[in-house]
Amino acid sequence: MRILVVEDDSVAAEYVRKGLMEAGHVVDLAPDGDLGLEMARAADYDALILDRMLPKRDGLEILADLREDGDAVPVLILSALGEVDQKVEGLRAGGDDYLAKPYSFTELLARVEAIGRRSDPTAAVTKLKVGGLEMDLLARTVRRDGQKVLLQPREFRLLECLMRNAGRVVTRTMLLEKVWDYHFDPQTNVIDVHISRLRGKIDKEFDEPLLHTVRGAGYRLQI
Amino acid sequence: MFGFIRKLYRNTLFRLSLLGALLFVLSLFVALGYIYYATIESELRRVDKANETEIAELQGFYDAAGRDAVAKARLAGLIGPFESMTSLNARQIYHQNGVETVNNLVIARGLPYGDQPYERVYVLRSGSRITGNLAPIPVETTGDGASLLPDESVGDRFTRVEMIYSLPQLNDAAPVDRRARAIRGNIFLNNEPALRILVGRDVENIERTGERVRTAILTSSGLALLLGMLSSFFVSRRFARRVEGFNRLATDVRAGNLDRRAPRNYSEDEMDLLAEHLNAMLDHISRLMQAMRYAGDSVAHDLRTPLTRLRTRLETAAVELGNTDEAMILYEAAGDADQLLSTFDSVLRIARLEAGERRELLKPLDPKPILDDLAELYEPACEDAGLSFEAEIAPKTLILADRGLLSQAVSNLLENAIKYTPRDGTIRLTSRRKRGGSIEISIRDNGPGIPSWDRERVKERFVRLDKSRSLPGSGLGLSLVEAVADLHRAEFVMLDNDDLPSPDKGGDPDRPGLSAALIFPRVKAET
Repeated sequence: MRILVVEDDSVAAEYVRKGLMEAGHVVDLAPDGDLGLEMARAADYDALILDRMLPKRDGLEILADLREDGDAVPVLILSALGEVDQKVEGLRAGGDDYLAKPYSFTELLARVEAIGRRSDPTAAVTKLKVGGLEMDLLARTVRRDGQKVLLQPREFRLLECLMRNAGRVVTRTMLLEKVWDYHFDPQTNVIDVHISRLRGKIDKEFDEPLLHTVRGAGYRLQI
Repeated sequence: MFGFIRKLYRNTLFRLSLLGALLFVLSLFVALGYIYYATIESELRRVDKANETEIAELQGFYDAAGRDAVAKARLAGLIGPFESMTSLNARQIYHQNGVETVNNLVIARGLPYGDQPYERVYVLRSGSRITGNLAPIPVETTGDGASLLPDESVGDRFTRVEMIYSLPQLNDAAPVDRRARAIRGNIFLNNEPALRILVGRDVENIERTGERVRTAILTSSGLALLLGMLSSFFVSRRFARRVEGFNRLATDVRAGNLDRRAPRNYSEDEMDLLAEHLNAMLDHISRLMQAMRYAGDSVAHDLRTPLTRLRTRLETAAVELGNTDEAMILYEAAGDADQLLSTFDSVLRIARLEAGERRELLKPLDPKPILDDLAELYEPACEDAGLSFEAEIAPKTLILADRGLLSQAVSNLLENAIKYTPRDGTIRLTSRRKRGGSIEISIRDNGPGIPSWDRERVKERFVRLDKSRSLPGSGLGLSLVEAVADLHRAEFVMLDNDDLPSPDKGGDPDRPGLSAALIFPRVKAET
């Protein structure tokens, strides 16, 4: 993906750039708001990473200007302001996702890949398929290698979220936000327990595991 | 009505202005009373004086008449020209003896004059009635009630008598009763009482004026009292409205609405000045709040940026090292940085909740779906920790809450329960409607509990009990619950749990269990 990072902290920006490039993305950096807006208008990016507090023009203003131009480029807003209402404000302004500082790089990577233009996790599909695992979104059924798997409604949504992001890391926080709609981090390993139950249903009786734990990051569903 | 009066009476200004009105009416009453005394009463005293003088004068004539002709002549002059007398009896003024002189004089002075009422009334008697212009019997006294002219002598004492006499009318009309003030006394001969006399003057007109003045005084005082009460009511209502405005303002501000200001009318009276000062104070508080928020946000931003960098560096280094022991150490270091920041975040979040800024997010909702979601989220974790989990959630209740904040508070309490309850324990999440309509959401466990003397202390920030120091945690979980409860105007109560019996029933003193409850006030159904 081609990603524009608008961030005034050059050290942080450099680390983000390095990390994204290692993950196989093309990255441009903009150190302030004016330049960020100019670059976003000039080139066709697959995703924008936008700091909220920027010199010259703040992140939400850039976002508002882009949306006014009719530019639907996916935007991830970064901010030191982690309050839920500010998150809501950011999303309402047209952001696709919101990440509070400090974030782990894996969280950033997972989220930017999830919103990126080339993946579209909200695409209107009726069937999802990863290896031998099939999900019918209309009939609400799941089969693995043709064998029916019975899931609780919440497990179904958990699996759906993982399947839509197949091949990419999905963090615990992302799962909490998308599957449970909670914007706080529980101290205990609640998500891990749910994942291990899901794993028991879709992987246990099969040779090849599909649901992998990514150390220090989250989970990934892949062949 | 009674409640209205009681409410009115509680109003300080009403009480004060009512007192003022009463004092004013009292002084008005005194002033009018003085006017009455200075006019009517002194007029009556003048009448008494004249009566006394008259008796003294008659005594003088009585003494003199027996002695010389000069006195007779003076007497005649005093009565007036002989020819002007209309009564035949009056012509006998030249009789020699003193009794007759006085007798004639009394008759002469007591003669009716046209159709005017008597100016004077007289009765003269010695044993039986001798003369006078009063009817013999129908005379009432209104004074001391003693008979008008007792047969026995009254000594040399003059007695004042208020009386009613009957005045004959011309043209055979019925006689009219009129009031008079009289003095009764004796005419002395050689220092012995010889004649008894009553000399009086008609005071009907004065008394009537007096009555009218008294009525006017009472009416005007009553009117002043009524007007005073009315005006204190209106003044105090106006005042009460303005005070009520301040109270509403204070309530709003306490609810976190710092933009509200007291309305001013720029009259620069005390209330207006109070409003001005209050507003200045609120401005100051807002500025401080903004400064605090700005400082908080800046610190958050300034601290987070280097920490993000630190974390990224650690993480990048760990990734580069691959799957080695050193990498594990770096991951753990990154985890420590995370914990540091989450503590910092919690402090900021609690501060914001305590400032009450987010109260407008609260809306009436049924907590059941929220609690069901939490039960569903935590049930597997409980099972994993070897605890049995029960949820008993009342349907169709209504509380004023924010989903995110309520979830977070209950989640904190559930995590505490999971963290501290030993294996084989039980955790129960319940919600129920209490008597009076409040809704109680409680999390009960049969873990070690919290001693009663520590229950308030653990709500403070960074307070951790000795027993729990070995377990992970920041000491902020319950502070956040308390802050959320305050924001929701809910009560956060911790008690021993008497609901779930300890496994050994006998009541293990080490495991009284904990019942942590959030009690939400009743929400009035929206109409």
